[in-house]
Amino acid sequence: MKSTIISIIVAIAIISGAFLLAKDSSLGGTNLPANNVSIIDGKQIIEIRAKGGYQPRKSVARANLPTVLRFDGKGTFDCSLSVRIPSLNISQILSQGEKTDIDLGISKAGNLKGSCGMGMYPFEIEFQS
Amino acid sequence: MAFMKTYIFHVNGMHCQACELMTESEIAGLPYITRVKSSLKNKSMEVVGDFGDKSDKVIAEELSKILAKHGYSLSLEKPEERVNWSDFKIAVPIALAFIALFIGLQKMGIVNLVSVDSVSYGTAFVIGIIASLSTCMAVVGGLVLSMSATFAKEGDRLKPQILFHAGRIISFFILGGIIGMIGSAFTLNTGATFILGLVIGLVMLTLGINLLNIFHSTKRFQLSMPKFISKHALGISKFNHTLTPLIVGVATFFLPCGFTQSMQIYTLGTGGFLEGGFTMLAFALGTFPVLALLSFSSFNINKSKKSGIFFKTAGLVVILFAIFNIINSFVIIGLIPPIFNF
Repeated sequence: MKSTIISIIVAIAIISGAFLLAKDSSLGGTNLPANNVSIIDGKQIIEIRAKGGYQPRKSVARANLPTVLRFDGKGTFDCSLSVRIPSLNISQILSQGEKTDIDLGISKAGNLKGSCGMGMYPFEIEFQS
Repeated sequence: MAFMKTYIFHVNGMHCQACELMTESEIAGLPYITRVKSSLKNKSMEVVGDFGDKSDKVIAEELSKILAKHGYSLSLEKPEERVNWSDFKIAVPIALAFIALFIGLQKMGIVNLVSVDSVSYGTAFVIGIIASLSTCMAVVGGLVLSMSATFAKEGDRLKPQILFHAGRIISFFILGGIIGMIGSAFTLNTGATFILGLVIGLVMLTLGINLLNIFHSTKRFQLSMPKFISKHALGISKFNHTLTPLIVGVATFFLPCGFTQSMQIYTLGTGGFLEGGFTMLAFALGTFPVLALLSFSSFNINKSKKSGIFFKTAGLVVILFAIFNIINSFVIIGLIPPIFNF
């Protein structure tokens, strides 16, 4: 019983320690424009922030346009740094400094689903024709 | 005149492949025994020998004395295999509370706490702590818990855990150093990640079900070396208990854990053996407190009256983590859409 109490105390100490040590300076990191899809020179750019998951989780874009996914993995160390889109056979590790572009080619109408390398952070892009 | 007779005894405490060899080698050494054969499947032992006119009961007692030092005993009647269902009344809530804490930590966005532009050894350590509380716990922590609880159940508590952690920490330093030196990381492609994730999930599922101690048939799926190999490996069970945790410890470097991979990516830019090595070492040390808590939770539990509750709780947690890993493996190859949403 004594060891159980010690274990619980240690567990609480580690968890609260993690929150204290790391401070929550990063929570304002999702300052993306409300519309994360832009078309520049006929090229569609979809911006996604990759940190502890993907924001926005669902993007709406136009189909039949040359499209680039632009991931921002600045200061990210979790799974979202590793992007996988199974249907396009894409597996890419993002840069922790600059933004990383993934060229999707000309996108077809429909839903494109991807996730992080371990599968627990999903994202989705709906291409509307 | 020698009079050979065949006896069949039930063996209490027979739980592993190595037990067959252990019990056989002890009994075979006796002068009046001609042949002995143990069976894990039936938890029995067939003995051929000349015991004079001793009764079966006396023989069982005599042989039990010899085997007692290894924790086995023989009986004439099949020992009643009781499944202690009442343990689940406590084990299920504890396991659910643990999983709720795990999910809660992910929902609170524990991984967002990492916000660094440059990584010092100190921040690598903090990233390690956060990694050990993140979804990586389902992979590495689940593996640690399943392994340490399984070893504890077989009576070997301390040594495998120490070997695992030593293997992990030392290999992180050396492999981190190599990455820093050569400037390229070991990245697994989708297929390899899928296979690795699936295998880990299935291993954990098997170990988890074994820990529950309810389905005796799963013993047949138990991961153990074929007998003909272990027979040649000296010291019978030593092989499993020494090399396995060490190899698993080293293998955690390659397991699908986002944080480990990200640290490796960072490390390849450090540009030197010592810088890379110490970065990965600091990260591994950061993951140590949580992993140690998981692995040493089984310390000394085997003797306790509550051991049934502990093993069932550990089994349930391991099974849930295993399912999580298996589902995610299918997600990354696109077979099923993402289910978890942290």
